[in-house]
Amino acid sequence: MNYFYLYIFLLCLGACLVSCQEREVDFVYQLNQADVSASEINKNQEKTLEQYISILHANLFQKALSADELVELRDCMTSIGDKELGKQMIVSNFMNHPAIILPTKEDMRTDIDKFIKDTFRRFLIREPTEAELAYFRNLIQRQPGITPELVFTAFAMSDEYRYY
Amino acid sequence: MKRREFLRNVSLATAGTIGFPYILPSGRMFAQTTDRMADHVVVVLFAGGVRQQESVLQRYLADSQNESIEGNIMYNLLAGATPNDKVVYGTDSDRPGKDPIPQILTTPLQLQGTLFREMRTSEVIHYNGLNLCVQGNISATQGLKQQPIFPTVFEYIRRHVGVPASKAWFVGSGIGNSIPLLSYSQNEFYGQAYGANFLAPLLTFGEKGFRHLSRAKSYHPEYELSPMEEMKVFLDSSFGRNADVITGINNTEEERYEISQFIENLFVKTEQRQVIQPLVRDNGDLKTIGYACEVLQQFKPTLTVVDLEEVDVCHGSFTDYLRNLHRADHAVGFLWNYIQTQIPEMSDNTILIVVPECGRNLHANPIKDENDWFSYDHSDLNSLRVFGMMAGPGVPQGLAIGQEGVPVGMTADIVPTVADILGVKDEVINQGYLYEGARSLFDRI
Repeated sequence: MNYFYLYIFLLCLGACLVSCQEREVDFVYQLNQADVSASEINKNQEKTLEQYISILHANLFQKALSADELVELRDCMTSIGDKELGKQMIVSNFMNHPAIILPTKEDMRTDIDKFIKDTFRRFLIREPTEAELAYFRNLIQRQPGITPELVFTAFAMSDEYRYY
Repeated sequence: MKRREFLRNVSLATAGTIGFPYILPSGRMFAQTTDRMADHVVVVLFAGGVRQQESVLQRYLADSQNESIEGNIMYNLLAGATPNDKVVYGTDSDRPGKDPIPQILTTPLQLQGTLFREMRTSEVIHYNGLNLCVQGNISATQGLKQQPIFPTVFEYIRRHVGVPASKAWFVGSGIGNSIPLLSYSQNEFYGQAYGANFLAPLLTFGEKGFRHLSRAKSYHPEYELSPMEEMKVFLDSSFGRNADVITGINNTEEERYEISQFIENLFVKTEQRQVIQPLVRDNGDLKTIGYACEVLQQFKPTLTVVDLEEVDVCHGSFTDYLRNLHRADHAVGFLWNYIQTQIPEMSDNTILIVVPECGRNLHANPIKDENDWFSYDHSDLNSLRVFGMMAGPGVPQGLAIGQEGVPVGMTADIVPTVADILGVKDEVINQGYLYEGARSLFDRI
């Protein structure tokens, strides 16, 4: 008998909750949807050496760098005065690592726009502008020798990637 | 950039370097205020804390261990007879350190140039002492992990002589003790844009370096590097903030390419044990000096500063201190001999300056080593005593200046001396950053 009353009570409670919920309506007003994301204009803090290395590692291997490796990599970069050169060497060494996660050339060429957008999101944490999209699309279409590795390296060495 | 285009650019840049004056940031086209004495200067920071007693005074164990044995264990730098008993500083044979390392320079540097027997530093801490040598001054607020406050000798030379980045090198024995920071200052009118190319070869080409740097890919200049550079330039122009200008030491792309090739080649040479090395290479300083010779051979820098530090073991082992002092002497002898015999562009066109950054105490600490000899720290007045030495074109030969109790010269003199050699002494002094008593060592002769 007790189960019967409990069943009736839950039924009434459910009916009340459903009847009180207001239906959400998406108003479009004949405009296109626009995503709001961080702009590069806000990137004005230079990453420290440690931040650069650990973020780069996460971007290329999709896993965190161990503390020991981070210290070793930082020391190696410190041993070379030209920081730009040090970064080039670290990026290049990462690219030669067997565990690196890179899209294949076929993946890149199958859907170039997707590859470009993914790369911007991965490295620069933003969407590409139309001009950027068009530039990279044209470059990849025009030059068959472009590989994801070359694109990733260019992004990792870019000035914007040094800032957050 | 196509290979042909790259080579053309390099040739043009080289021709420009030779044929045309630099337009300096100061707006001056011709920087030299006086004639240069030499086109190259090599400064060896004979660092780690060297007591006058065991170096220039040649007292071996007499002034430290209460044993009346005197003698010269730095016979590449100094003239004088070696100790005849209790020799521990050489290489090992039937007894540790029994065999002194063969002399490299038949004429010691002291006789080839000028010896300042008794100079002064105002600092007894390594980093501060080194700062004094490279800044020609030191601020009371200067501390470890802090970029030099006043401009360094590299910045003066790069700015006022118009030296490109690849012609100013700082070869460090390691990256500890904030050593890499000495390659440029935080001064707003100089700074990183005029800094030196730093290299700590024992780390770069050591175990860690091999693990993380040696697998760097060599991209094809035309098919890979060129589009990569194109993409980077596009991204940078979109970003609108040239980080290189903000943070770089201004190596040009060609210079950077040359340095990366140099490093790549050195990995191969290190692996094949073909790096230039002195006869004996059983400590870090000797290996560092070998890599410094590689830098000199490749870049023929206008200014090279090499930092040694192994004698600092004296805090806990006097025996090892003597061994490393003997090796530091071997390293400098090797370096000078290599410049004179293996680098024609620098031979007879280089002035060598040798100076410790600080001395060591008069009285021992309580630590005894395997020979029951006491160790020495650096904190008292005796630690302010150092020697200095110069050799090369225009340096008076066989001259010894100053003596115990009559000091002549100070380590802050190094900066105006280098400026003097390269013809910009007045311009550097007139910037007003040097210690007020600092003078060119040539003006003290």
